[in-house]
Amino acid sequence: MKWLDKYKVIHPKLEKETDYPHWAISLTSTLLNRTGTWRIFRPLYQDQIPPCNNECPTNEKIQGYCDLVKQAKFAEAYKLILEDNPFPAITGRVCYHPCENSCNRKDYDDAIAIHCVERFIGDWGLKNVALAKPKVKNKKTVAIVGSGPAGMAAAYYLGLEGYQVTIFEKQTKLGGMLRYGIPAYRLPKAVLDTELKKLIKLGMKSKTKCAVGKDITIDYLRKNYDYVIICHGAHKNRPLGVPNDKAKGVISGLEFLSQINSGKKPKIGKKVAVIGGGNTAIDAARSCLRLGLKPMILYRRTRLEMPAVPDEVDACEAEGIRIEFLVAPVKVLATKKGKVTGIELMRMKLGKPDASGRRRPVPVARSNFKIKLNAIITAIGEQVDLSILTPDIQKTEWGVKVDRLGKTNITNVYAIGDCVTGPKTVVEALGAGKRTAFQIIGATEKIISKTDKPVKFTDLNLDYFEHQDKTKIPEISVAARKKNFKEVHTGYNKEMVLKESERCFSCGVCNKCDNCFVLCPDLSVIKDNGEYEFDYDYCKGCGVCAHECPRNAITMIEESKVEEQ
Amino acid sequence: MRWTIKEKELMYPGHVACPGCGGALAMRLALKALGEKTIVVLPACCWTIIDGPFPMHSLHVPVLHTAFETAAIAATGVKAGLDVRGKKDITVMAWAGDGGTLDIGIQALSGAAERNDDIIYTCYDNEAYMNTGIQRSSATPKGAWTTTTPQQTPKLEPKKNITEIMIAHRIPYVATATLAYPEDLINKYKKAQSIKGTKFLHVYAPCPTGWKMAPDLMIKICRLAVESNIFPIYECENGINYTVNIQPQKKLPVFEYLKLQGRFSHLTQKDIDEIQKSVDFERQLLLKRAAKS
Repeated sequence: MKWLDKYKVIHPKLEKETDYPHWAISLTSTLLNRTGTWRIFRPLYQDQIPPCNNECPTNEKIQGYCDLVKQAKFAEAYKLILEDNPFPAITGRVCYHPCENSCNRKDYDDAIAIHCVERFIGDWGLKNVALAKPKVKNKKTVAIVGSGPAGMAAAYYLGLEGYQVTIFEKQTKLGGMLRYGIPAYRLPKAVLDTELKKLIKLGMKSKTKCAVGKDITIDYLRKNYDYVIICHGAHKNRPLGVPNDKAKGVISGLEFLSQINSGKKPKIGKKVAVIGGGNTAIDAARSCLRLGLKPMILYRRTRLEMPAVPDEVDACEAEGIRIEFLVAPVKVLATKKGKVTGIELMRMKLGKPDASGRRRPVPVARSNFKIKLNAIITAIGEQVDLSILTPDIQKTEWGVKVDRLGKTNITNVYAIGDCVTGPKTVVEALGAGKRTAFQIIGATEKIISKTDKPVKFTDLNLDYFEHQDKTKIPEISVAARKKNFKEVHTGYNKEMVLKESERCFSCGVCNKCDNCFVLCPDLSVIKDNGEYEFDYDYCKGCGVCAHECPRNAITMIEESKVEEQ
Repeated sequence: MRWTIKEKELMYPGHVACPGCGGALAMRLALKALGEKTIVVLPACCWTIIDGPFPMHSLHVPVLHTAFETAAIAATGVKAGLDVRGKKDITVMAWAGDGGTLDIGIQALSGAAERNDDIIYTCYDNEAYMNTGIQRSSATPKGAWTTTTPQQTPKLEPKKNITEIMIAHRIPYVATATLAYPEDLINKYKKAQSIKGTKFLHVYAPCPTGWKMAPDLMIKICRLAVESNIFPIYECENGINYTVNIQPQKKLPVFEYLKLQGRFSHLTQKDIDEIQKSVDFERQLLLKRAAKS
């Protein structure tokens, strides 16, 4: 109401006849006339949840940082991401981006390439923003079992609050699945190492080559640390379960990737079949190609049912890797000495949907056939190694039993990530790590749960947006990918990231576009230091502001229901 | 997209326009463009009411209320008076509705245009006599309902093309504008202010009350009117040089515009086709003129 204060409302005293002017001339302004009493509906500025934020397992404020990127405020954008996700340079590369699948813009032209924006900001931040130091000192100690994304996220947020964190890692280097599971052409090791520096700066200690369950027990950790977080992941390979599945030349996908990622070159034959349809299968096949081998993928259902990220499957096919659908292994063919020579397969067809909602493959009778091979990589899913747990920790069919925030049945023992859910994604592990850290810190107000009412496409006023295609994601040519592990996607540059973020609708969140202010016929939207406010003394409730808000950040509610709000 | 529109207001809230009034917003934006050194002349029209009853007044600038048919000539008089007193930097704007312009005020306006008096004349067009109870005017479009052209016998005559009438006077500047394109509207007022002579602005200002539509659709209906070519946004300098300022992005059928308004709810498909035909014809005519100039 500030600008109104400038105009003093004078009520003219018109009691006697002489108070009236001799001709019809106004004596005061219409500010006397409180037209707000006409109102039946009342506009309210109410930020809604954008679908991208809602779908992100770490609840990243995607709309928020896109808006900052639009204004080229990269440092602020970076800090905003770090509130929810400590490693944007990693997730910008490897996340399967559920945000983009829910982006309202996909119904208009094309979803925003959110991961590319995130990656740019992540890389920019690593170069230009100083690493965070602990905000306070804290004597509480935390033991984290496993240094994968779940453990890293927990360590980061606990470290910020000054907790004394120690990470126990079986392998020689930190990073878990990020280092040993994801090939360098998707996540260069240098990026991972730089991101890990954040944890070192926060004073995290690490004990590598220390296998919990073997070198040290969970009981020992429980006695010596205030909190224990179990996040050792799901690394146990599931065998093929057909005759000869232990023949020489059959290798598990994770083992294969782990060898490559440790800098070794696995010794396997040239013609390779990768069995499975998940991300491990795709990673293994694409890695084979880069080692100069001839891979193919065998999957028992169709492309539609593949659990792998569609973009990765596309890339796989672009690189010339054949994917044979609707085939299942019957028998591994091997020499007498037990060396793989081929595989016997059977055709499948799709039956009724199973528990996962995908159609179950059913064998086609008398459809067996054989192919010649030198090696077989199995990637039909990973299991959680539950043997490291003490017997008093409750378990489920596939992992550790926990509540929504990662608490096990034992006080101060938490379990998060793949060891709870079975093999899932990096971003889900990061989100779980963050939530558990907030739970330990006591910052439960920061733990956001998903809403069922994000802003829908139909809620937006599209008249204010022009069609613009997604900025093409730059990548190296297929020819340049052979025989090396160079990163495939090269990322956006500054110009591209500005252009792409400009496409963001900013669903449900006011980004100060001025529409409500400019289009109000009753001058009842007041701008005060860049913030808007409704002047309910005069607002007649016509609803033009709410209708013309391009992003549904204004809601109209009935006056009679105002009290309830 | 962000607007570049001044924050300074030259109007008070508390005016008594209906919720969602296009005319009220048009005045607000026009005054933002013209600035404080403006005198407004109002004949009988909605704005006579909107401005407020005695002793109130809703503008920061002086207003002269005058008789129905005299908007243009009263503005000329005010301008002449200012000239005599040597006040050359004050803009005088006559602000009349479609009745006060197309019907009863046309002779005064034509006279002012013929003499090329230095005024801005705005016709804010809500396509009927609204504040007196929605009676038809010569700006009411063909087929529309008003209280004097009820649904059984809707208006049979097409809308009078006041913009072309004014262009035919060969005055320095004639333009159309509407509220869905506020920057265009403001730029046109600024341009008009910078030109000497009679300037005529035809502002399309919806009346949710008289058009029987939801008030929150006020801006949307302006946009649809432009996108369906019902109300083309263009300007003409010296009666010769046409410029189409806003080219509709998509060719929208007139039905999209008509269907939101209760005053057209009785139209049959045949009527709508006829309207579409005449709109297409007018569009072609305008494009031809714009191409020739």
